[in-house]
Amino acid sequence: MSILEVKGFTKSFGDVKVLKGVDFSIEEGEVLAIIGPSGGGKTTLLRCINFLERADGGTLSINDKVIYDGSCPSISDAEIRENRLHLGMVFQQFNLFPQYTALENVTLAPKLSRKWPEDEILERAKDLLARVGLADKMNNYPCELSGGQQQRVAIARALAMQPDILCFDEPTSSLDPEITGEVLRVIKRLAEENTTMVVVTHEMGFAREVADKVIFIDGGVIAECGTPDEIFGNPKSERLRDFLGSIR
Amino acid sequence: MFQTVMAELTIGFGKTIEIFVLTLLGALPLGLIISFGSMSKFKPLKAVVRFMIWVIRGTPLMLQLIVVYYGPGLIFGTNIWGIGNEGRFVAVLAAFIINYAFYFSEIYRGGIESIPKGQYEAGQVLGLTKRQIFFNVVLLQVIKRILPPMGNEIITLVKDTSLARVIAVYEVIWAGQNFIKSAGLIWPLFMTAVYYLAFTGLVQIVLGRIEKKLSYFN
Ligand SMILES: Nc1ncnc2c1ncn2[C@@H]1O[C@H](COP(=O)(O)OP(=O)(O)OP(=O)(O)O)[C@@H](O)[C@H]1O
Ligand SMILES: [Mg+2]
Repeated sequence: MSILEVKGFTKSFGDVKVLKGVDFSIEEGEVLAIIGPSGGGKTTLLRCINFLERADGGTLSINDKVIYDGSCPSISDAEIRENRLHLGMVFQQFNLFPQYTALENVTLAPKLSRKWPEDEILERAKDLLARVGLADKMNNYPCELSGGQQQRVAIARALAMQPDILCFDEPTSSLDPEITGEVLRVIKRLAEENTTMVVVTHEMGFAREVADKVIFIDGGVIAECGTPDEIFGNPKSERLRDFLGSIR
Repeated sequence: MFQTVMAELTIGFGKTIEIFVLTLLGALPLGLIISFGSMSKFKPLKAVVRFMIWVIRGTPLMLQLIVVYYGPGLIFGTNIWGIGNEGRFVAVLAAFIINYAFYFSEIYRGGIESIPKGQYEAGQVLGLTKRQIFFNVVLLQVIKRILPPMGNEIITLVKDTSLARVIAVYEVIWAGQNFIKSAGLIWPLFMTAVYYLAFTGLVQIVLGRIEKKLSYFN
């Protein structure tokens, strides 16, 4: 049983077909890395999985239950809201709420959801911030934190809603090279704790080390997929070889 | 004489402050609602609101006051505002609230549209409702951003209150001017400036305080 299964996802913006039928699945505790050239559709795929865009066609299932079907688009906002909680999302630009402290950023959504008692929410938030190495920064505002620290708060914030699957869109791409490490370490640690994750990344070394599966997206389709060793050690398609060659 | 003048001006200025405060209380929330209309995905509503914004911002407030006060009487044959001073005061408030609400709505719209899409998306993926995103994520950021243009409008409102006399609502300038006719004195009229300056100064201090309060984030 796959925790997440995407079948035949398609998505167009106007006349431009960005996703042309994408299928993949991941098992609980796995880390899936998505790589590929710019404009290939990686962000669009992740946004469709998180319902920030609605896929035109295809289905998305969580634990074998279809929660989104592109062929019947009349799904209500409330239904989307309920279903999307299976997924968490960390953005390239962090998107922290500037008027709240790190701790308040983490507790806001759980509090508004009223799914847990307040003291439990607070305890868990402090615990999450400690796990991303920011116990001493929890009362700071985002403008007082470095990019790497902000991104770690964003990870804690996403985890606070206890998603089944955590998605990242190039989590280190807007960071200075010398601080990408602190964010990658946190993600790696989550992987070791068997957090199910989907990570779009340009950090090939990181993908190779942390991912259980890698998919290579080019031109809106999965051009190749496999284990990190297959993808990086023995690329089959010309396109993947070119891509890997171009970034080394 | 000085005390008589000051007492009279103070009465007039009481009305000025009344118009100011009640206009803000009405126009600040109404402006927000109008801004939602002007950003609506429902095209006809959006078109109507945009048209109204054009009309209200494109004509003098003085003219609007006259239309609001005399218009209903001319069209429906009844004076909906009630009689006497009170009726005129209500008409003034209606005209001011409508006028300022439309001005404010454009400021709100600018503020709301300046919030990055990522803020909404971060709220969405955390499962917040549209309402929660607006009130718990976006609103305070909007307030911070619109404070300077809003401050300008609010200062203008202090001075615009003097237009109320167009339909014979007794406010501070009128009070000052009366002394020209009744006692041949011009200085009471000049003295009204002191009231305005004191009040706009106070308003500026309050706005400055709020701005400072919100300076902890950006
Ligand atoms: N909202 C949109 N409207 C129109 N076209 C879009 C939109 N979003 C993405 N696209 C187009 O879809 C294509 C895929 O974009 P996408 O952002 O998914 O690529 P990506 O693989 O994430 O690239 P990158 O590595 O640069 O982030 C691009 O050609 C892009 O211009
Ligand atoms: Mg992208």
